Amino acid sequence: MRSKLIYVIFAIVVLMAGIVIAILLAEPVANSGGFAHPNFPGMQAGGDGMGRLAHIGTLAFLFQCLLQTLIVCLCALGVAERHRSNELWLYLGGTLIFSVIVWWQMYAGHQAFMQSGNTNYFMGFPVATSWQVYGTWFSAIPLILIYSLGFRKFIFTEEDEEKFNQLMAKQAEKTEQ
Amino acid sequence: MEAYRQQIIIGAVLIYMIFCVLTGLWAMKRTKNASDFFIAGRGLGPIVVSLALFSSTLSGFGFVGGPGLVYSIGVSSFWMVVISSSGYALGFFLVAKRIRMIADLHNCISLPDIVAARYKSEAVRFLMAITIVLGVMGYLATQILAMAVVMQAIMSGTVMFADISLVTCVVISSTVLIFYCVTGGIIASVYTDVVQGAIMMIAGSLILLTAMSVFDGGMQEATSIILADDGEAMMPFGAAGIMASLGWFFVFGLGLAGQPHLVTKMMMNKKIGDNRSILPMSLFGYIMAALLWISIGVIMRAAVIDGMVPPLALPDDAASVFLSVFTNPLLAGIVFAGLFAAIMSTSDAFLNIGTAAIIHDIPKAIRGHSVKNELFWARVVTVLLAIVAASFALYSHFRDATLVAILGAFGWATFAASIFPVLAIGLNWKGATALGAVTAIVSALIINFVVQLAGIVLPYGISGGLVSFLTSFVLFIAVSLLTQKPELDEDMEAVMDI
Repeated sequence: MRSKLIYVIFAIVVLMAGIVIAILLAEPVANSGGFAHPNFPGMQAGGDGMGRLAHIGTLAFLFQCLLQTLIVCLCALGVAERHRSNELWLYLGGTLIFSVIVWWQMYAGHQAFMQSGNTNYFMGFPVATSWQVYGTWFSAIPLILIYSLGFRKFIFTEEDEEKFNQLMAKQAEKTEQ
Repeated sequence: MEAYRQQIIIGAVLIYMIFCVLTGLWAMKRTKNASDFFIAGRGLGPIVVSLALFSSTLSGFGFVGGPGLVYSIGVSSFWMVVISSSGYALGFFLVAKRIRMIADLHNCISLPDIVAARYKSEAVRFLMAITIVLGVMGYLATQILAMAVVMQAIMSGTVMFADISLVTCVVISSTVLIFYCVTGGIIASVYTDVVQGAIMMIAGSLILLTAMSVFDGGMQEATSIILADDGEAMMPFGAAGIMASLGWFFVFGLGLAGQPHLVTKMMMNKKIGDNRSILPMSLFGYIMAALLWISIGVIMRAAVIDGMVPPLALPDDAASVFLSVFTNPLLAGIVFAGLFAAIMSTSDAFLNIGTAAIIHDIPKAIRGHSVKNELFWARVVTVLLAIVAASFALYSHFRDATLVAILGAFGWATFAASIFPVLAIGLNWKGATALGAVTAIVSALIINFVVQLAGIVLPYGISGGLVSFLTSFVLFIAVSLLTQKPELDEDMEAVMDI
């Protein structure tokens, strides 16, 4: 996987750049980045949500899916190749699925609100926004757990520590000479 | 108690500042050489590093600009906050272990030292140092100005200091900052960060509780008021739209691992194994403190729409108006101390890395060695850098506001675009080359400068930061793949295998 992972990362970033270019070239929509609130100076309003997503909704959805994948791949890149076991990939894959589900629920919740104009609330926020606030925060918690709980298994094993100590000892010898 | 509101607030801020001065004096005894001054001799425990790391992440922007952004654009700005779990995870997966190992092996005391060792290139060191100095000037100037503006607002509420000038406030706040940074270097900086972090966490959680009691129906009533006024503002992409939001996710999430003042702190812990506890503790602290960002912004937008509070003159007034209208004086005192803590904890980190770049990295890149008597010159340059930044902030405030805006371009996004690929990818991919690194840094600087200077507004809320980050990322890998694979030193090869 060593030789391939950087190519996967490169492909993802190129695809994301391609999506951004496609969005830049998409049919422009007035006030797509918001507009001044008519009643309250200093506030911006979003206005027509459906119109703002009409030409770029799918592209933006894909952009975020790629970004979630990129984050997981970058975490894998940070793990030494010999520690990138099937177990690690299983955990990282699970994290990716979880984060994509959160993103999909958020996006779908927003779409549903735009169509119906109604929403339920969860812990103080409209459901779609709750997916963003709580879901996005929690969707990366598995990465924190993999790092912290799997530290001695994937990140810095006893063997790694021994190797590093040997390197340091070698360096100290060189300095003394 | 209400009658003494201003006095209580000033008292809280004064106690905090006295603490900073005393910490500087204490840390001075422990600062014996340049390594102590810049990276605390790599001897800090996990709690200290965790608190220092998160408190430096959440600058004055988080306490003033953050709530202002929620007030202004609604939920869009939440994306800068909710990425923290991904951002911290990436920072630790990609940077924390290897930066610490390289720092140990090569006796590095700065980020340019690390990249110079990794790429065996003085050009990369030089460009990294220049990027840091430019960024530090912009960041420091805005932080010092923010500190002075807040201090003026607090002091002018009393009879005795009603006419206090902005210049006086810049002098007072900068003096405290300079004092503890010069005397105690990074040791004073990180230990003040510990208290600063604790204050920020307490302030964040207390503010959330207060915010939830403003409306009878709690947070849900506030969000439903905003939703009824403008549905998009309270939906996941806010008023700024989906691409602005996702762009922030990208730039702030990935970019955390490219912030020099943060990754430098990853070189300071005593043991590499401490990283396993530093990561969750930093994230927890950040989330607690960031509650203030979200809750004040939402409540203030709802309160203005509902007619409970008159419209704000400026969105950045959201936090100060909230504190004066909805909180008791004691809490306001804690939060204002927290605000100074947030500003100072970021400023001291920038002063430190800026000084390292000037006295250590730029001379090393040009002449092959740093200045003699580094500790002495570190103290001198810290003073000079702070004075230049303070003067620059005042000049920009009174004469030419565009100067701060231009250097403001060297904010988070520029650091993210120019440093993330070079550092975070470069430490984990043996195929990364010096030419790839130079290309990434130069392209990031040029794009951010051009977008900022030309005032280019991209469609669909796409930010220049996102464009520059993606470009530098693609160029870094592409150029590295196209150039000859570098021969790494034996020890660097070994570090990258661990």
